[in-house]
Amino acid sequence: MIILAKIGVGVMGAVLVGGAALSSEGFIHLKVDEKQVDGHHISLIVPAALVPVTLKFVPRQHLAEAAENLRANMAIIDAALPALEQCPDGVFVEVIDPGEHVVIAKSGGSIIVDVNDPGETVHVAVPLRAAESAIHEIAAANQPM
Amino acid sequence: MKIMKRALPLLAVLLAGPVLWAASPERYLHVRVTNPTTHEQVRVNVPLSLAEKVIPAINHGQLRDGKVRIGGFTADNVNVKAILEALKTAPEGEFVTVEQNDSDVHVAKEHGQLLVHVIDKGSKEKVDVTIPWDVAQALISDTSENQLNVEAAIRALQNAGDVTLVSVISHDESVRVWIDSNRSDK
Repeated sequence: MIILAKIGVGVMGAVLVGGAALSSEGFIHLKVDEKQVDGHHISLIVPAALVPVTLKFVPRQHLAEAAENLRANMAIIDAALPALEQCPDGVFVEVIDPGEHVVIAKSGGSIIVDVNDPGETVHVAVPLRAAESAIHEIAAANQPM
Repeated sequence: MKIMKRALPLLAVLLAGPVLWAASPERYLHVRVTNPTTHEQVRVNVPLSLAEKVIPAINHGQLRDGKVRIGGFTADNVNVKAILEALKTAPEGEFVTVEQNDSDVHVAKEHGQLLVHVIDKGSKEKVDVTIPWDVAQALISDTSENQLNVEAAIRALQNAGDVTLVSVISHDESVRVWIDSNRSDK
């Protein structure tokens, strides 16, 4: 009985530590609502810490083009992301058009993009810290030796 | 009583901290483009601290190491740096007034600011540019003849008061660029 209790505590501890590690970098939230009658409604919440790990399993050739584009702008990205983390929350860009509304903002350590057009509404929230590690992971793909 | 005396300075520091913190709020560069005909509106709010860190990292086109090359101006025999250097020592007042059939241009130095007003009589377009003098000087600091120091100008803007830098009003569009401490332009 005591052994079972010890195993239980161990499992609980592992779950708690694992959960804390997974949620340490926040969550990526993607929500798409198509406005048609039979439109799709997708809502995904993914622990951001999983993204850099997952990227390690993506075949390098699939990331080659993105890696090349990112590498050309890494200096700007490396300067912008830490600066963005230190910025207060707020709306950076807002485009209001008769048929479309786009907002790019920072809220609680995440960059948020909201698009509302006649066809769908899209909400994307990406924690900045996760974005930074994911971008570095992609940029390192297919790096010439 | 002794404890009270010792605690008071600590309390004062603790109370002053948030006040001092609040005294140096983030400064923002705002851009608003409005088209009343199509009801389109674009609003951009850039924290100056962000611009200050990102601009030196951009090495693309005419913008390198925080400085922008203004080759087009010198090619037209207008040396912006030389003009700003000359204006630095000039007394306040209106420097240039050009009144033509199609447009009026006024350049002046007033209340520590460089002012440019342009009115296009044909299109009824009105352009007002206001550059705080410290910012104008920062623009030409540590530069060669055909460069403007954008990074230094952004730094100088941090200390400039709330000011509308650019205002363009035409029949189909209005543009306003300004600096203040509000995180949104509403």
